[in-house]
Amino acid sequence: MKRKTSYSRLVVRGLVYLVAVLIALWILIPIYLITIAAFSPKDVIYSWPKSLFPQTISLETLKFFVSAQYVLPSLRNSVVVALLTLVISLVIGAPAGYALARYIFRGKDIFRIMILSTRAFPIVILSIPLAVTFMKWGLYDNLISVAILHVAMALPTTILVTSSVFVGVSKELEEAATVFGCSRVQAFTRVALPLALPGLAASAIFTFVLSWNEVFAATILTLQNRTLPARLFIQLAASPLPFRFAGGFFILIPAITFMFFIRRYLFSLWGITLK
Amino acid sequence: MKKYASLLMLGAIVIGLLAACAPQTVTVTVEVPVKETVEVPVERTVEVPVEVTPTPVDYGKVTFISTQCVPVEEAEKMRGVILADFPGQVEFVPADYATFEDTVLAEVKAGKGTIDVIGALHGQFPTLLAAGALQDVSPLLDEVKDRGIPEAYMELGKLGTDTQYFIPWMQATYIVAANKQALDYLPAGADPESLTWEQYRDWAKNIYEATGEKKVGFPVNGLLHRFLEGYIYPSYTGGMVTTFKSPEAVEMWKFVKDLWQYVHPESMSYEFMQEPLMSEEVWVAWDHTARLINAFKERPDDFLALPSPSGPKGLGFMPVIVGLAMPVTAPNPEGGKALIEYMTRPETQITTLREVGFFPAIQVDFPGYVAPGIRAQGEAVTKQAAASNAIPAMLPVGLGPRSGEINKIYRDAFTRIVINDEDIETVLEEEAANLQTLLNETGAPCWPPDPPSEGPCQVK
Repeated sequence: MKRKTSYSRLVVRGLVYLVAVLIALWILIPIYLITIAAFSPKDVIYSWPKSLFPQTISLETLKFFVSAQYVLPSLRNSVVVALLTLVISLVIGAPAGYALARYIFRGKDIFRIMILSTRAFPIVILSIPLAVTFMKWGLYDNLISVAILHVAMALPTTILVTSSVFVGVSKELEEAATVFGCSRVQAFTRVALPLALPGLAASAIFTFVLSWNEVFAATILTLQNRTLPARLFIQLAASPLPFRFAGGFFILIPAITFMFFIRRYLFSLWGITLK
Repeated sequence: MKKYASLLMLGAIVIGLLAACAPQTVTVTVEVPVKETVEVPVERTVEVPVEVTPTPVDYGKVTFISTQCVPVEEAEKMRGVILADFPGQVEFVPADYATFEDTVLAEVKAGKGTIDVIGALHGQFPTLLAAGALQDVSPLLDEVKDRGIPEAYMELGKLGTDTQYFIPWMQATYIVAANKQALDYLPAGADPESLTWEQYRDWAKNIYEATGEKKVGFPVNGLLHRFLEGYIYPSYTGGMVTTFKSPEAVEMWKFVKDLWQYVHPESMSYEFMQEPLMSEEVWVAWDHTARLINAFKERPDDFLALPSPSGPKGLGFMPVIVGLAMPVTAPNPEGGKALIEYMTRPETQITTLREVGFFPAIQVDFPGYVAPGIRAQGEAVTKQAAASNAIPAMLPVGLGPRSGEINKIYRDAFTRIVINDEDIETVLEEEAANLQTLLNETGAPCWPPDPPSEGPCQVK
């Protein structure tokens, strides 16, 4: 009897690992293929059958992106917009999430739904009016305007994620802090905030990636100060395959790097510690 | 506490970045003739003439949005080479048609613009004109009148009105590139300079039977729809739209299926034919001149440029005219006009041909320094247009923002008939209905090679 349970436990464990490996492969295989294609010479990319391992390494197409005039400024634009979006949406979203988690107020449920409703508008339909409005306000072709729109897109998730993070931080701890002489603000900054940090980091990743990958708003609101994906997206769609791989790799790397740095916070959210 | 500190650090980094990335101010130095007042003991004010060396004119910042030269390499050539000698700072913004149109229309609606010059296909201008977005560029006519732009092209620039709205900038078309090794397999008696599509198929068949390889390619993942709309349809049926489901069209599709047995299977993934040509994966390929140019540039001795083959009704081909216009909201109209004048200069036109493979819209003599391969390509283009049986087919006009949909209909018909092996008549009947709906909803009248129509063009 006992042996049977341990056997089935083993099977379950094996299945869990199998699923985990499959999910990891699901994400890693395309990244791997993009990477080797980005480092391959042009004729290898067109050759058939394709090899799963790079035979010759070439920096030809990647070099093009590094030397293309607009790439570095666009990359800078992307980073600025993503960080602006991240900061603004946390500054606005985290207090809203905190309020939703801690206080009971009239219309709370409606508020919760209203937040989500902003995501119900298809941005494609709004494109021309949005661009016209930003132009009239003198905000056109400006990184702030792109960040504002990205914040609008990211806020619903930021608010809902942070509110559930703060729900998870025990209210009693904050109350205990006030008992020991902390003010309301101190109790928040010294007790609730550090405990909520991993969750906030997770929501920050979502926001960063959303802004990093967003192409449509960035294209319609800017002309010269485009973010890298906005600038490359249109051009890559019309470019030969080798440039698509190199461009894809080029867009991928900064996002992966960012996640690598922030992952420790994410892991501590799941109770895993990395030293 | 440590985490809290690192959060602070992150904040500090962000603020630092923001400060570093504040918009940079561009300082423009303008030389103003200086009047100096010099006090002379005689108490007389003397104007001292200050020597002003003639400074080259600077047109300042000119923003140039274009639906052409979008691929990364072409755009880089535009910025780095073609626009480099313009006396001013040109910001070249390549855009897909949808973004291009949204941006121009939004600027016109806002009454405040950043774009000075628009470069687009002939068929992409009518929607902008309808929205009142285009400026009259007649003042430029004087400057470009001795450039030898064909009258017919200038007429296109009036978009059916009496006002000049765009100046022809460059042209392109589609031709055949052939590796010289393939010439050994030409069908007996065939002249590569004036092939028929049937001979083209026999050529593909000969190569396959002799080498065991399918060495003829088409850009199915690229501009295949232009092959269908502008080449094979007019060559076999004499029309593009009206003859969509005619008995001749049925014969034509049977021919395409027959030809397809000898076409390289990787054609499904080809976007630009220059790469498979250079890797010798294919020997013979049909494509846009700008998408073949690298093969001719890099290995002029190995490749021949041939006019497209002809069919029972003639040699259907698609001349592509690209024009330059200015939006009504251009913030730097003087710079815009200067840029249009610059782009139509013979030397700029030659550079454009050399760098991105678009042919001059003006009369030019190809100077000696144009690579032999490109010269050959130019000759093939001229031969194609001048063929006695030529049937010029225009890019779809009048469909406005829905011009992409017509391409989908032709491509769908291709996929269903040739790839999925569906019944030709059924597919043509169904896709013709889609085509008619599109024409009715946009109200587009027929365009060449179909005879002019009153009201929306009708599929017969």
